[in-house]
Amino acid sequence: MALFELGDVSIEVDEDGFMQEPENWNEAVAAALGSTEGVDDLTDDHWKVVNYLRDYYLQFGVAPMIRKLCKQTGFQLKEIYELFPSGPAKGACKVAGLPKPTGCV
Amino acid sequence: MKEPQSVKDIAKNSGEPLARIEALEQIPLPPPFDKIDEEPPFAQLTDEEREKFVVLDDTIAVNIVKPESKEEEDRLVKGFLSGLEKLMTVEDNWTFLQPFEMSMEHCAHCQTCSDACPIYEESGENELYRPMYRSEILRRIYFKYVKKASTKVHGDIDLNWEVVARLIELSYRCNLCRRCAQTCPIGVDNALLSREIRKIASMEMGIVPKELHADGSVLQLKVGSSTGMTPLVVKDNIEFIDEDTAERTGIEIETPWDVQGADILLIHNAGEIMAWPENPGAFATVFEAAGLSWTLSSEIVAYDGINYGVWYDDVQFARVAVKHASAARDLGVKKIVLGECGHAHKALTVIADKILTGDLNIPRESSMVTLRDIIRSGKLKLDPSRNDFPVTLHDPCNLVRLMGIVSPQREILEAILPPGRFREMTPHGVENYCCGGGSGFAIMSGHNFSDWRHRLTGRKKFRQILEAFQDEPMDIEHPKYLCAPCSNCKGQIRDIIAYYDAWEKAGIYYGGLVELIVNAMVDVQPGFIDWEWH
Repeated sequence: MALFELGDVSIEVDEDGFMQEPENWNEAVAAALGSTEGVDDLTDDHWKVVNYLRDYYLQFGVAPMIRKLCKQTGFQLKEIYELFPSGPAKGACKVAGLPKPTGCV
Repeated sequence: MKEPQSVKDIAKNSGEPLARIEALEQIPLPPPFDKIDEEPPFAQLTDEEREKFVVLDDTIAVNIVKPESKEEEDRLVKGFLSGLEKLMTVEDNWTFLQPFEMSMEHCAHCQTCSDACPIYEESGENELYRPMYRSEILRRIYFKYVKKASTKVHGDIDLNWEVVARLIELSYRCNLCRRCAQTCPIGVDNALLSREIRKIASMEMGIVPKELHADGSVLQLKVGSSTGMTPLVVKDNIEFIDEDTAERTGIEIETPWDVQGADILLIHNAGEIMAWPENPGAFATVFEAAGLSWTLSSEIVAYDGINYGVWYDDVQFARVAVKHASAARDLGVKKIVLGECGHAHKALTVIADKILTGDLNIPRESSMVTLRDIIRSGKLKLDPSRNDFPVTLHDPCNLVRLMGIVSPQREILEAILPPGRFREMTPHGVENYCCGGGSGFAIMSGHNFSDWRHRLTGRKKFRQILEAFQDEPMDIEHPKYLCAPCSNCKGQIRDIIAYYDAWEKAGIYYGGLVELIVNAMVDVQPGFIDWEWH
C-alpha cells in the first residue's frame, strides 16, 4: 500500500495505483486518478462509463464484463480505449474507484 | 548483465540485486520486431521499491518487506527450516513426498535441464535463472541444516534471512512448465522444487503473492470465484452471454444451470466469462448443436475451474478440488468436462487424484477430447472455408507435457481449417514452450512484473509465434489467428501482443479453439470471430 496525493486528494492505493478503500471515492478522486491514466479532463462520455462501472460495482461487488460495459453505455471497445487509453480494466475501473480486477481476467 | 558467480552469493548481504538483465543485450526477435533498440521500454524498479522490499533482480513478485529486527530475521530462517523438514514427512507432504525426495537426493549436476529452460535462455543464460541454481541452494540448505550431512559431499552454504527471502522470490521466477523435468535423464523435477519452496513460504510462513492467495484462492472459497463473481453475478453474466452469442450466431441458446442427472458438468475458468465471453458462448453453441446433456453448476467455487493452490499451497488446493468434485457428485453427473484452462486440467484431473476417492472420484475429461468426439460424431455441419486465414496452435503445458493431450486439438483443426492454413510452431506438442504466464504469472502485474515477464518468460513463446507466421505478410491487412486453448495462456498472450502492439504491427490475433469451431459451423451466421482487438 502507498499513499497517493494530488492537490487536496489523499488516498491509499495498491502497487498498481488502484484505490484500496473504494468507499472513499468521490469526483475529485476520480479526476486525480484520471490524471495518472492519461485522462486530463473528465467529459460527459467519461462520466457515463465511470458512473456505469460505479453503479454496477456498488450493486454487485465486482466489475462488469467488458462486453456488458460496451453494450450498456453504447460505446464500442475502441471508443472506451479512446476515452481511457489504458483500457476499461486498468484505466476506467481505476478512475471509477474500483479495486484492481482479480482472477484470470 | 549482472549475475551471481556462485551458489554461495545468495547469502551475501550487499543490499544489491543478484542479477540484472540488459535489455539491449537480449537476442533480437524475428521481424517485424527485430530491432532490439526499438523494443518497448522495460520499466525499472524505483529506489523507493528497492528500499522497502527484498530485491533479487530486476523485479518483485512476492513483496517481502525487509525485516526490521533480529527477531524478524530469525523468524524467516526458522520458518523456512521447519517447513523444509515437514516436506520430508508423509503426513505433511501427502501430495509430492516421493518426487520431492527423489529430486532432492539424485541430481547428477549434468546441466541437461539448463538447455530446456526458456527463461534461462532468454535471460542470456544468466546464472540466477539456471534451473539448477535454485535447486542447488535448496539442496545445500536441506543437507547441511536439516539432514546434518557432510558439506564436503553435498556442498556448503550459509543460511541467513536473505537466502530465505531471495529463494522465495526466486521460486517466482519459474513458470513451473516442467520442460526441465521432461529432459532430465533421471527424472529430477526442478519445477516441483520451485513449487515446494512456494509451498513452504505459504503454508509455514504466510508469504505469498496476493494475486494468488488473498485475491485468488481465498476469494474463490469465500464468494465462489477469484474474479469476485457470486452465484448471482455469474448467472446474470451467462444470461447476457447467451443473448450476446445468439445475436452473433443467429442460434438461440440457454445455458443450463444445476441440471440434476445431466451427463456432463462443464466447468469453465471464470475468467473466460468475464474477459472472453465468446468462449463460454461458443461452448454452449457447440454442446447444444451436438445435443449433449450438460450443465453448469451455480454452487460456490464450482463455476470457476481455477485452482490457484496448484501453484503454491496444498491445503488451498485440496479445498477447491473437493468443492469441484462435490458439486459434480451432488448433481449426479457422469463426468466433469474442463473448459479451456490448462491449470484446471492439472489440478482436477492429475493432482486431485490424491484426494478424490470414493464417491468424489468422478471421471474428469479434457474439453479437447469432448470437442474432438463431437467433431467425429458428424453432428456439426462444418465449412472449413470460413476459417480461411493463417492459424497456429499454442500448446498449453498442462495439456501436452503433463497429460499427453496432443492429437485431439490437431484433429479438430484438421476438420475445421482449409488445407494449407495450419502451421505448427517449432517445437510443439509435448516439447512446447510455456506461454510465459504459467504458475500464476499471467495474473501478476505488481511493480514492473508485467514487463519482466514479457522480456523474460514470454519472449521464447512470442519468438515462436512470430516464426510460425514468417511466411505471411506481417501487417494488420493480413490477420493471423493464434489458437490458444487455455485462459491463462490467453491472458499472457493478450498482454504480450499489447506490449509489442503486434495486432497493429503484425496482424496477430488470438483466441481459443472452440471459437474456431463455431466460426466454421454452417448453421451459424458467418463472422463469429470478429477480429475486434481487445
